[in-house]
Amino acid sequence: MKLSDVTLVAAKELRETLRDRRTLVVMVLFPLVVYPLVSLLMAQVMSSHTARGQARRSRVAVVGPVAAAAAVRARLQVDAREFDAGVLAGVGRADAAGDRAAVESGALDAVAEVEPGPRGEARVRLVYDEARDESRQAHDRVGAALGGVLAPGCAPLFSLEDQSVAPRARVGGYVLSKLLPLIVVVMIMLGAFYPAIDITAGERERGTLETILSAPVSRFDLMTGKVIAVATLSTITGLLNMTSMSLTMVEGIRLVGATTPVAIPWTRAASTLIVVVPAAFLFAAVMVAIGAMARSFKEAQTLLTPVYFLCFTPSLIAGLGDWDLTAAAALVPGVNVTLLARDLILGKATAGAALLVVASTLAFGALALTLAARLYDSERLLAADEGTLPLGAWVRRLLSIRGDGAAGSAGGEAVTGASVLASTPSPGHALAVFGLGYVLLFFVFIPLQSWRLVPGLVLSEWVGVLGLVVLYARGTGQRLVDVLRVRRVPLRVLAGAFLVGASAWAVVGLLAEWLAPAPPELVESLRRLVAPQGGRGLALTLALVALTPAVCEEALFRGVILRGFAAKLPRLTSAVLTGTLFGLFHVDLWRLLPTGLLGVVLSLIALEADSIVPAMLAHFVNNACLILLVHEGAVGSAGDMSRRAQISLFAAGMAVLAVGSMLVRGKKPRASAV
Amino acid sequence: MKSSSGVAVLHLTKRFGAALAVDDLSFSVAPGEIYGLLGPNGAGKTTTLRVLAAILLPTDGRAELAGFDVARDPLGARRQLGFLTGSTGLYARLSGRELLRYFGRLHGMSDANIAARTALLARGLDLEPFLDRRCEALSTGQRQRLSVARAVLHDPAVLILDEPTVGLDVLASRFLREFVRGERDRGKAVIFSTHYLAEAELLCDRIGLLHEGRLIAEGSPAELRASAGGASSLEEAFLSLVAALPAAPGTPAPEATP
Repeated sequence: MKLSDVTLVAAKELRETLRDRRTLVVMVLFPLVVYPLVSLLMAQVMSSHTARGQARRSRVAVVGPVAAAAAVRARLQVDAREFDAGVLAGVGRADAAGDRAAVESGALDAVAEVEPGPRGEARVRLVYDEARDESRQAHDRVGAALGGVLAPGCAPLFSLEDQSVAPRARVGGYVLSKLLPLIVVVMIMLGAFYPAIDITAGERERGTLETILSAPVSRFDLMTGKVIAVATLSTITGLLNMTSMSLTMVEGIRLVGATTPVAIPWTRAASTLIVVVPAAFLFAAVMVAIGAMARSFKEAQTLLTPVYFLCFTPSLIAGLGDWDLTAAAALVPGVNVTLLARDLILGKATAGAALLVVASTLAFGALALTLAARLYDSERLLAADEGTLPLGAWVRRLLSIRGDGAAGSAGGEAVTGASVLASTPSPGHALAVFGLGYVLLFFVFIPLQSWRLVPGLVLSEWVGVLGLVVLYARGTGQRLVDVLRVRRVPLRVLAGAFLVGASAWAVVGLLAEWLAPAPPELVESLRRLVAPQGGRGLALTLALVALTPAVCEEALFRGVILRGFAAKLPRLTSAVLTGTLFGLFHVDLWRLLPTGLLGVVLSLIALEADSIVPAMLAHFVNNACLILLVHEGAVGSAGDMSRRAQISLFAAGMAVLAVGSMLVRGKKPRASAV
Repeated sequence: MKSSSGVAVLHLTKRFGAALAVDDLSFSVAPGEIYGLLGPNGAGKTTTLRVLAAILLPTDGRAELAGFDVARDPLGARRQLGFLTGSTGLYARLSGRELLRYFGRLHGMSDANIAARTALLARGLDLEPFLDRRCEALSTGQRQRLSVARAVLHDPAVLILDEPTVGLDVLASRFLREFVRGERDRGKAVIFSTHYLAEAELLCDRIGLLHEGRLIAEGSPAELRASAGGASSLEEAFLSLVAALPAAPGTPAPEATP
């Protein structure tokens, strides 16, 4: 082996690979951004879910001779938070058969059948349903309460034996319901992954894009055909996995020598088919839409990998927790199909819920398909590549090593030698700056704010967030006012922005309250941020919680990020993407929806007015309204209001929002640089 | 019924952001005519042809194929068009016959019509030996002949051929030129874009010279040679016409070979 040749080849390959920005994104930003985000969101959901589960009191009835039963009741009543006192006390119960039926039907979680043992202990036969989570929880609680109780002389006071009322097929269904939905959804996504890339970016790479674009077929028809093909393949993947998984489970249980073999409820398992097809359509459409944006197979893979993880997260959350398929959950893509598949296997799905899930999944799929058709735009696909930002040139410019004087010059026609610097933000820049901001958020801003809230917040926002924008502008040789689009706008637009800010908090807050209400702990922590114990002056709170984000966060999101997306993508797509990133930046699952929606509204204002100023004003007014309300003690959360008051507030908010939007839109403002 | 069956381009302009790719371009191609569109790399040929194929939208001006406005009725325009460029590849995992059936159906042809046209073209373009082979297994020449069949399967009124002889050997190039002449004689309007000026001279009835998005000269090969002071070949005529242009500030000189 010739070592010099080996190192030569290795050095060349490394150089080439590291010059590919997309490889860097996957290597660096992906683990730094996506993993913390997913784990943090999941931790929030799981802890809130666990807290709710622990707060639930188990419904356990105790039957048997009076004295023995009383001893068991007394023991279980020691921790009043775990057992429903009313059910426990259940006077006059003696009919064990009736109680067993109640366990089977779910009216009771468990029945403790007590009889005196030969050595004076109480023998407890715990009748429960091992195919139901609440019943299993009751079983564990009774076991913990009675298990370690010893009389003087160390003889156990209680002896415990289990008896499950669940038939074999129900147990099989229960085990299957824990594994199958998540795995099927993940496999459907995986089944869509490569075909979606192959028929979009692959078509371009193989040189057949122009062939098909010159054929008399509309873009929407073309994309619909492609999505159907991908959905078919991913449906087949999902079905094969479902069958294989079910058979493996039966065989696996037999192999480990389980004494009570389980049975697969085949009809119910097959009924999950109604989830597979819409889910396959949705994921196929999402992945085809992302693939349609990519210029090459490799770029599509780079773009789709994080999307795959983000699509997978809701299903993971739904699969791990014991959530109810509520109307709101039925509208959340990923979560809804996972929960419906589980309910179908358990045999507790309702027709209404199934219909809602299928309809909402198909609707989201149709939305993604429309987006795919818009993104598969020949103008964009065939146009020249966007200007690149070589890392070395960027750093040199940042440090002003190269004395070309272009840094900070107007216009940004920044062609210096071989280094081509972008003159305006691009989608690549938007994602890179967001990724960098996100890494800082996780590893610097959040620790800073946990250390000391006020100085941490000031440093994070004014030095961190705004500093990042300033560095970006300096590094790319653009004027900050150009990057941010700081432009004067007519008074009419400012008045509109004021009205939007004055109403957006109510509209998005109520929508979030109805669709995904935040847990009381979060409402309380937000209230503490705005009005801490010991008090903080109103002016300081306004400066910290309204003015600071209105300037710094707007500069990042409605400045670099929105302008970057809008340079290549349609307005609405850019606004939705920016809003989503804005929501994610608040690293809180419950605030994702309201902040995301607010982000979309602010983005639309900035785009309509072609200036960041009204977006900043609306952001300030929105936050200021919330602060003033909390300071006045007017609101805790919308949950404290009556439904009628909520609807009235929402209607009023929508009306003001509509007037504000109309004022902002008006006719195109003739903006001039400040 | 549409009034015209040729190509009409009127004050066509196409911008990509700040870059001007095609600048106020006008020309027309009559049925039964081969029009050569020549110019150096970056002259705007490919952009013009993509606008004509209704793949790109014109920024200004208009273009009609067989009377169909490419911006207003892109599907109608594409039905009249056979489009073959260096970027119109074939589906590698389909056989030639499957590929022709796919595009035939997209053009709304009946299966019987597709079969009849396929048989006719297979004889004319000598496709029979490999028509049932997958495209990935074909040689460059075989692929190009299949591409031609794909472009003319629906018997379009207008043919756009961009560099159709690139990579072909002498025999295959000649075969293709003969085919194009045959299509012209059947009344098709043909736009033929090439870098081989000798080939353009052999084939084209009229030629338009594009430079930096503008049409700088137009006429028959003989007229173009005459307008360049009696140049002996089209290549010489082209070079002298481009050299006579005032250089735009900051623009590099055009490449020597068009």
